Amino acid sequence: MLLHLLNRSPQSLSVYRELGEAFGADDHLLLIEDACYAALPSASAALEPFEGRVSVLAEDLASRGLAERVSPAIAVVDMNGFLSLTESHQRCVSWF
Amino acid sequence: MTTFSDMETVSDVETVPQDLLIVLRHPPHGSQWLREGLDVALVAAAFGQRVGLLFQGDGVYALLKGQQAGALGQKGTHPQIAMLEMYDIDTLWASETALAERGLSADDLMLPVVPLNAEAVAECFALHPHALIF
Repeated sequence: MLLHLLNRSPQSLSVYRELGEAFGADDHLLLIEDACYAALPSASAALEPFEGRVSVLAEDLASRGLAERVSPAIAVVDMNGFLSLTESHQRCVSWF
Repeated sequence: MTTFSDMETVSDVETVPQDLLIVLRHPPHGSQWLREGLDVALVAAAFGQRVGLLFQGDGVYALLKGQQAGALGQKGTHPQIAMLEMYDIDTLWASETALAERGLSADDLMLPVVPLNAEAVAECFALHPHALIF
């Protein structure tokens, strides 16, 4: 039960592929920094392997002008939500 | 809403080539690449060079409306984009493919850009004596 942290835009296809291989049945994915662009409806294909188990960080959405553009399928969490996710998962793994 | 597909895509680069082509391929905030490219553009323009900017890939996100400073007050690049006009940098091209893949229309962007199809992007590179890629 891992929390995966990803900070690359969907343009970096390989990191999404490798994360997809490593993603377990009870795992969760949190999109931060440039990975926020994956939360747009136009990028939905990149997140297909993680469907229903993806969150995105509100602060990083806001700085990029994406707050109103997030796909409804993705949960938006703030820094406190990020903290809660780290508490509810055994470990964190960073992908970059 | 104006979408880029409504606009006529130029098959050739209509504006005469500039002295320097700067290609911006990275999105704001995540790295320094975009800032470095914009800095070079503004410096070159301050020294009287005519600068053309080409936004490719995630670089088109540099133009998105509604950007702000980071949660810890990190400066974004949107103030530099807003300054381009003051430095007489008004030749802005963007890859039509990059815009379409990201579902972006003219209404989503801070500044008007000329969308270029693949052929025109190649021509853009061919016509400029100097190109810097960021």
